[in-house]
Amino acid sequence: MTEIEIEVGARPIREINEEIRSAAAAGRSVVVKDTRSRHNLAIGLGEGARVRFEGSVGYYCGGLNCGARVEIGRNAGWAVGEAMSDGEIVVNGYAGMSAGTSMLGGLLHIRGDAGPRCGVAMKGGDIVVEGKIGYLSGFMAHAGRIVALGGAGDACADSLWGGEVWLGASPKSLGVDTCEVEPDPDEVFEIESLLASRGLGKPEVDWRKIVSAQRLWHFQSRDAKAWLMI
Amino acid sequence: MADDLTHYEFPFPPAAEDSIAMRDGANENRPAGVPESYDEGKSPRWTPKAIADVHAMAQLGRYQLRGFNTFSTRMPTFDDLVFVPASMTRLPLEGYRESCETETVLGDRPGLVSNPIRLAIPIYVASMSFGALSASAKAALGYGASKAGTMTCTGEGGMLEDEREASNLLVYQITPSRYMLDLEHLRMADGIELVMGQGAKPGTGGVLLGMKVSERVARMRSLPLGVDQRSTVRHPDFLGADDLQVKIEELREATGYKIPIFAKIGATRPRYDVAIAAKAGADVVVVDGTEGGTGASPEMLLDHTGIPTMSSVRAAREALDECGKSGEVSLVIAGGIRSGVDAAKALALGADAIMIGTAALMALGCNSPRYFKEYEALGTSPGRCHHCHTGLCPVGITTQEPRLEERLDVAGAAERVARFLTAMTMEITLLAKACGKSSVHNLEVEDLRAMSLEASAFTGVSLAGIDRPFTW
Repeated sequence: MTEIEIEVGARPIREINEEIRSAAAAGRSVVVKDTRSRHNLAIGLGEGARVRFEGSVGYYCGGLNCGARVEIGRNAGWAVGEAMSDGEIVVNGYAGMSAGTSMLGGLLHIRGDAGPRCGVAMKGGDIVVEGKIGYLSGFMAHAGRIVALGGAGDACADSLWGGEVWLGASPKSLGVDTCEVEPDPDEVFEIESLLASRGLGKPEVDWRKIVSAQRLWHFQSRDAKAWLMI
Repeated sequence: MADDLTHYEFPFPPAAEDSIAMRDGANENRPAGVPESYDEGKSPRWTPKAIADVHAMAQLGRYQLRGFNTFSTRMPTFDDLVFVPASMTRLPLEGYRESCETETVLGDRPGLVSNPIRLAIPIYVASMSFGALSASAKAALGYGASKAGTMTCTGEGGMLEDEREASNLLVYQITPSRYMLDLEHLRMADGIELVMGQGAKPGTGGVLLGMKVSERVARMRSLPLGVDQRSTVRHPDFLGADDLQVKIEELREATGYKIPIFAKIGATRPRYDVAIAAKAGADVVVVDGTEGGTGASPEMLLDHTGIPTMSSVRAAREALDECGKSGEVSLVIAGGIRSGVDAAKALALGADAIMIGTAALMALGCNSPRYFKEYEALGTSPGRCHHCHTGLCPVGITTQEPRLEERLDVAGAAERVARFLTAMTMEITLLAKACGKSSVHNLEVEDLRAMSLEASAFTGVSLAGIDRPFTW
């Protein structure tokens, strides 16, 4: 099946996304050129869609994805793959702030570093970052896994409700209400399998697994009944 | 006596202290008249409530948290405005014979929105989450709104199947916490509301105490069961107006330019905030005044943050006028609207539609005089209850306990909501027709007069009689 080529340039985003959608509906994979870091490319694509961006993209690329395979040749702007529920997004360069915001499922693979707030409010799925993740990554995440081989910035996994952050190198600092736990071999095997599925060899690292300390789950040392006073 | 300055002496023997005392005091040991002052704390600053607040904070080490809305007695109300119906200068419409248009269209923007929201009436039910409210309450609001030809809004807890089924028209809310937000649900919505704040507690995120984080609520919000949920206030993937513009475009792309995008803000600086929201591309701007309700909030925020609904309407409308967006971007006003009269006044001040939250809960049966013992157990009584935060709602509305929820009969409650919305609409059309208007949307500022300097100053409405607004 031949690929369909779409030029972005200065054309309206609406038109470009329509072309991507109709190509996907026809079962054709798409190569997008001259991307100019434009925002809102490949929003809300479904299963079967295959899109490759040759350059860099702006905000929300692959946002609300529900099954498409999206590859970004270079860098991605803010919130790549935000609210994705299924599918796969690969960023070959770096990702800006809030990569994988509130994603529910699927996989986001960033080959370079990810900016601050990677996986913020995340609710499921996996984020694999070969480089490091920025400050406040995993902030108030609910579920899912963030795996960063290159470590993390400040306040890593701050106020985590649930989910896991796996680091292959030290974070600059841990966020509030976090807890570093010794991973058991089965869990390490699962993470290594995830990396292997991404074509990454077994890394020679001491894994650091960060989870919620659960102290912020409840207003600290307060009997819930005390809130009934007024 | 040391302070006897005149050295005057009566021409009779000085009186004994016993005969000076009037002896009619409540306490024999105190002079008459004074004892009352011991009982009545008259300090306007250290009121019994102020003292009790210090006592509570000193024991608990935290602020108080509760539901409902502000108890502040300082809020101006729509009662300070009156309508001046037609007489000689204008011609009234016949109340029982001539019709008055009530249809309200939100997001009528050809090219950007192919399916604007068409409401039969200028009122709809405000965003209140499943979690804050029971599933039965959400369903009853949905059915009631559908029967009255209007809509509901999901609130932050995700889209409840029961509500989607009940509501012919449903706005899906996107809050910073993004609970259950995915493409499937966005595409099931008739409108999308991006929340930048709410009237009851602008500048702060949501709170849902663990008592209400039931299995179903926890699942929909991806939360551990029973946690005290606090939501962020800032969106995780956009910050300022420029980002918001990109976000709005993303939502249009995701939903195929079909449905309108709402931007909801708490009333703080409506003159600027509304203009920014409109310029960023929102189809509908919702301004929620400080009298708006909440399921749970730090109490002091309810009383001390945000500006009153009445004062925000003119400012919001003028903002849209100034940036040329009136007629293109719709303005929805909410926050403490109790009746068709309040709603009509807000329409006259410049709103395109009115949202009711607490009033709709009252129609469901909130504070209705039943289950007295359980109100008592909460330390309150019907007509005074504000314990939404506890999850122990005696009438099954703001609870997740099956035992309480089953008290809300969905069919009956839905009918009451429909009737209340209908009655509110009748009040609005009655006033509109008296003012000579064949559409509720023709109500205007000139139809109002202010009865207090404050109301005039807040709204720019002319003072009664003198027919001039109070100006500085």
